[in-house]
Formats: sequence, structure tokens, C-alpha cells
Amino acid sequence: MANVRDKNLKTAMVLFTVVAGMVGLAFASVPLYRIFCQVTGLGGTPGVQASAPEVKTDTDFIVRFDANTNPDLPWKFKPVQREVHLKLGEEKLAFYEATNMSDKPITGTATFNVTPLKAGQFFVKIDCFCFTEQTLEPGQTIDMPVTFYVDPEIYNKVNTRDVKTITLSYTFYPKEEEEGKVSALSQPSKAGEKG
Amino acid sequence: MANAADAHHDDHGHDDHYPGFFSRWFCSTNHKDIGTVYLYLSMFAAIVGGGMSWYIRLELAEPGIQHIDDFQFYNVLLTAHGFLMVFFVVMPAMIGGFGNWFVPLMIGAPDMAFPRMNNISLWLTFAGLGMLLISAFVGSGVGTGWTVYPPLSSGIYHPSAAVDFGILSLHLAGAASILGAINFIVTIFNMRAPGMTMHKMPLFVWSILVTAFLLLLALPVLAGALTMLLTDRNFGTHFFDPAGGGDPILWQHLFWFFGHPEVYIIILPAFGIISQIVSTFSKKPVFGYLGMAYAMAAIGVVGFVVWAHHMYTVGLDVDTRAYFTAATMVIAVPTGVKIFSWLATMWGGSIDFKTPMLYAFGFIFLFVVGGVTGVTLANSSADLVFHDTYFVVAHFHYVMAIAAIFAMFGAWYYWIGKMSGKQYSEGLGKLQFWVFFVGVNLLFFPQHFAGLAGMPRRIPDYPDAYAGWNYISSVGALITAIGTVLFFVILFRTYAAGSKAEQNPWGEGATTLEWHVPSPAPFHTFEDQPDMSGKAPAE
Repeated sequence: MANVRDKNLKTAMVLFTVVAGMVGLAFASVPLYRIFCQVTGLGGTPGVQASAPEVKTDTDFIVRFDANTNPDLPWKFKPVQREVHLKLGEEKLAFYEATNMSDKPITGTATFNVTPLKAGQFFVKIDCFCFTEQTLEPGQTIDMPVTFYVDPEIYNKVNTRDVKTITLSYTFYPKEEEEGKVSALSQPSKAGEKG
Repeated sequence: MANAADAHHDDHGHDDHYPGFFSRWFCSTNHKDIGTVYLYLSMFAAIVGGGMSWYIRLELAEPGIQHIDDFQFYNVLLTAHGFLMVFFVVMPAMIGGFGNWFVPLMIGAPDMAFPRMNNISLWLTFAGLGMLLISAFVGSGVGTGWTVYPPLSSGIYHPSAAVDFGILSLHLAGAASILGAINFIVTIFNMRAPGMTMHKMPLFVWSILVTAFLLLLALPVLAGALTMLLTDRNFGTHFFDPAGGGDPILWQHLFWFFGHPEVYIIILPAFGIISQIVSTFSKKPVFGYLGMAYAMAAIGVVGFVVWAHHMYTVGLDVDTRAYFTAATMVIAVPTGVKIFSWLATMWGGSIDFKTPMLYAFGFIFLFVVGGVTGVTLANSSADLVFHDTYFVVAHFHYVMAIAAIFAMFGAWYYWIGKMSGKQYSEGLGKLQFWVFFVGVNLLFFPQHFAGLAGMPRRIPDYPDAYAGWNYISSVGALITAIGTVLFFVILFRTYAAGSKAEQNPWGEGATTLEWHVPSPAPFHTFEDQPDMSGKAPAE
């Protein structure tokens, strides 16, 4: 009599462990998903490298720029140039311009992605204002740089050979008051005055 | 050995000793009573959820706005319809109701492994249903669709606590199902009658076993995702909010990692029920028993690696979509094995067209129609056009919604004699089948055409071009409603004036163990477990 009950409890404990494991996996999926996107460039996640590769090519390419501002952020935010022409593998510098239209200093952070989404892994940033938070004084206008190149591999892959133009898009959000919660996710390096 | 597993029943001396009303139905630890309460819960939710869908069809009968001028209310109706039908009609009836009633009987066990936990599952389900009903009266209600995608479900678009109530409702129903799943797995693994090996279990028991594993693996992921959504809404986290580094697409991945196995959770017990019915009324063992059992296991496994076919339009790259298209189509193989084996079971059998068998035929027809459109939708390139049209609505109502309802009706007619001791009226049962069969086909088949013509889901109004098919669809809904009312008439007639059910009303084809106990099944059964050694598989 007792041994069936023991066996039942033992099986149930194993199954409860499975349930706990699956709950854990659900939460682990948050960082895993981010890493997966960064590694594979899925969903238009651009890559990050320290410098451009040695290989230069003669293939013409266009990068366009797009800017969005969250309605809660009283900034004017726009690209200085609509597009740049470059060769695959060539390092380029472009600027965005932001103005604080309010009468108090505000800190913002930008999210970014590129379209077409499949080109994400071939668009590589070397340096970007979006890596850090930006704080603007009332009425202040700053130019914010982004340095990037387009990986020549984009031309060698059959799925992306048709891509001749990439659009880089930013959306600026106000940085939230609660310090800990935002920084835990976006890991700002606090070097806010880059622009 | 024979008395090994009935430790919980020491205080009951006789098979027919019933406790008082409150302790019998509210504090029940008896698998049959709990199953009965689950069935009533399911019927109540079906009336509410079905009523909502008929109200929706009333609005959609003609172009323009006739009855529902508050569009958020329309969203609340279709959302609650989905939640109710999935979590509080099909799951409680198939798993909680028929599963509780017949899994212990079919394996010759005296009860479930953890009878008190069984009671907890039952009342958590009730609490979940209560939470869902409350949510309709909080703020503007939950108008998110059953998929609860952020940002629609975030604080920006649903600021009231309604969505929080909805989330807690799913948490409770999910916890109930996880506990129930653990109970079923332990019962099936440890409490089978001596000699009943895994490969001798009836296919309904197999289907509940696979379903329980799906619940165990899928529901915790939903619970995790819902918790993230809850903290996003109330505690300032940013799991699904891009402003804080989150990603709303992550919700879709997590939701569908649960959501796709969920549709198999709904349909697998139906497979089990249909196997029992087809075998009984063809008076033959199921063709390819092992193939049938492992086809269900295969469907369960593959069901976990196809979730992104619900998200072809979010911007997945072409290789990912190619994989999910191929993986999705693979599911047609084990489901094809099942259809083939049911037909092969009937082939050459002495088929008896009683009401449960008619429902089994109906199920197979509906499932094949829905399966064919499923293979169509699996193509990611075609799905970009079909996505969020009525074609999808027609597909999933055929393949999992009314197919599951047909299996439930079939199971009710098949087992009501065993459960209540009263037999239904065969003539009325057949009439109810034909009314319902004509109704649902008239209701859902035209939606294929409306969808192919581009009619979007979840919209209370539509251009005049779609008026014809929508009118036919609404007429079908009316016929379905008549069929539903007829079912409840049959139910009351059975209780009030049904003839006495024999121990085995179906004759030589009904071989499983529940037909070896009297009708109605006594309060306690198989306290001495039968010895099944040397007997044939009890399919």
C-alpha cells in the first residue's frame, strides 16, 4: 500500500521539477532571445564591430536614414542627411540631429533596427550614439554620429544579393525615472555627453 | 497487490455509500463525481461562450452596424468566446470530464493517484472561470483577442485592470491543468491494473497521457509569459516594451510556443475518443493500434517545433519560414496515419450507425476538411495573404473547434449510459446530430470563401461584397443553435425519462474495462484491480 503511494509521490516530484524547469526556461528565453537576435541578426538586429574589414569592393550601395520620436519625448530628432552612397565594406560616418524642445534637461535612449530585416546581420556599427544615453539641456541641439559599414558578404549570400539599399531607423524614447529597471535591460555606460 | 492503490478509501465500506450533498460535490475526491462537475462546468461555459458567438454572428449577418455599436465590446466578445471555448469548455470536458471519468476505469484503477489534488484542480478551474467573467465587468473589458498580443494588451491600450483579471484567470486555469496533468501521468504510469502494459492501454488513455505531457511542457511557458506581461503592465518592467529594450515579438514566440501545443491539447483527447467509438461500432479492434498510439506521441513532439507558423507576417527571414513550413507539413503525416487507421478500422467492419458513430464520422469529415486548409495555410508564402482573414477562422474552427465539439458530443452519447445509468433516445440523438452537422457546415464553410475574398478577422463590419456568404454563415449559426438546444432537451429527457442503461449497451465491440462495471458506474470501482495478463490490447 505504502509503496504505490511512495512511487506516486516520486513520479509527481519529477513532474513538478519539469514544470519548474519549463517556467525557468520561459524566463531564460528573454536573454536567450536577445543573444540569438544579436548573433544571427534576425529581426533586423545590426551587428557591432570595432573596425571595418580590410576588404573594400567597388559595389555601390545606399544607406538611408530614418528617425522617430516617442510622443512622450519632447525632442525634435532627424537625420542630417537622407542617404549616403558608399561601397560595400567602406566605413562611413553619418549624423543625426536632436533638439530638446522643452524647458528642462531630458535624457533619452534610442532603439534601432534596419530594413530589410534580412540585411540586419550585414549592417555593422562601429560606433553609435545609440550605444549610450543622451542628455540634452533645455533648447540644446546636438549632432550625434554613427559610424558603420555594410559587410561585403551581403553580396555573396543568395538571400540578400538583391538588397541594394538598407534603411537604418532609430526611435528615441525618454529614459524612465526608475534607474534600476531600465539599466538592467539596456546597460547604459553613463557616458552621456558623446554628441 | 490487488488492494494496493485504494488507501484513500479506507473510510468507505461499500461501493454505493454516498456522502452528503456538500461533501459529495464540493469536497469531492471521487474521480467520477469530479468528472461530472467538470462536465457541468463545461456545459455552462459552452452556453456563455456559444451565446457570445451567436451574438457576433447576429451582428455579422448583414453589413453595417446593427446590434453592437461599441466596437471594444465586440472585441471583448470575441476574446471571451476564445478563452471560454478553449480553457473552460473543451479542456474541462475532454480532460477534466471524460478524462477523470474514464481513465481510471479504463486502466482498472480505483481512482486518480492524488484525489485531493484532483479536487484542487477542479476548483482552481472554477476560480479561473470566475476571474474571466469578472474581467468583462472591469473597465472596458479584455479586447485583446485570445492571443493577448502586446502592445494592444499593454497599459497604453488596455489601461483598466480587466487584462490583469484575464491574466490571473489564465494563471488559475493553467495551474489547474498542470496539477491535473501531473495527476493523469502519475495515475497512468503507476496505477494500471496488473498485466495492463502501456501497449495494452485503450487509445483514449494514450491520448490523455500525451495530452498531459503537452500540458506539462506548454502551460508553464504561458505562465511565464503571462507573468512577464503582468509585471510589464503593473511593475514597470519592459519584457515586451521596446522603450526599455524589450521586444513585443518575444511575446508572440512565447505565446505560440504554448499556443500551438495547446491546439493539440484540445484535439488529442478527441482522437482518443474517436478511436474508442470507431472501434466499438465497427465491432473490430482499432487498425494499427501501436501506429495510432505513436502517431499521437509524434504529433505531440512535432507540435513543439512549429509555433512560428502563426507568425509568418512578423518579418521572419526566408530560411526560417521555409523551416516552419516544412515542419508544419510534417504534421500531416501522423494525422494522416490516424485518418487512415480509422477508415481501415471501419473497412470490412459490421458498422452500427448509432449516434456516437455518426459523430465519429462527422469528426473525421470535419478534421479532414480543416486539415486540408491547414496544409494550405502552412505555406508561408501563401499565408502572407491568408493571415488574419476568415479563411483562418474557417480553418481552425473546422480542425479544432467543431471537430472537438463533435468528439465531445460523441463521447457524451457513447458514455452517458455508463455515467448516469440512463440511456438517451436514439432517434432524438440522430436528429440532433444531423441538425448540428448541417448547422456547423453551413456556418463555417462559407467563411472559407469570405476569407479567400479578403474578409478580415475580428472586425464587426464589412463591405457589401461579403454580405452573401456572411448571411449564409449566420443562418448556419441559427441552425447550430437549434441543434445545441436540442442537445440540452435530450440531456434533460435522458435524466428524466431515459430508459435504464445496460452494463454494455453497445454489444461485442465495446471491450474496454468501463463496460465491465454496472451502469451507472458504482461510486467505487476496481478496489480489487482486475488481472489483465494474457489478455488482448484493450483498444
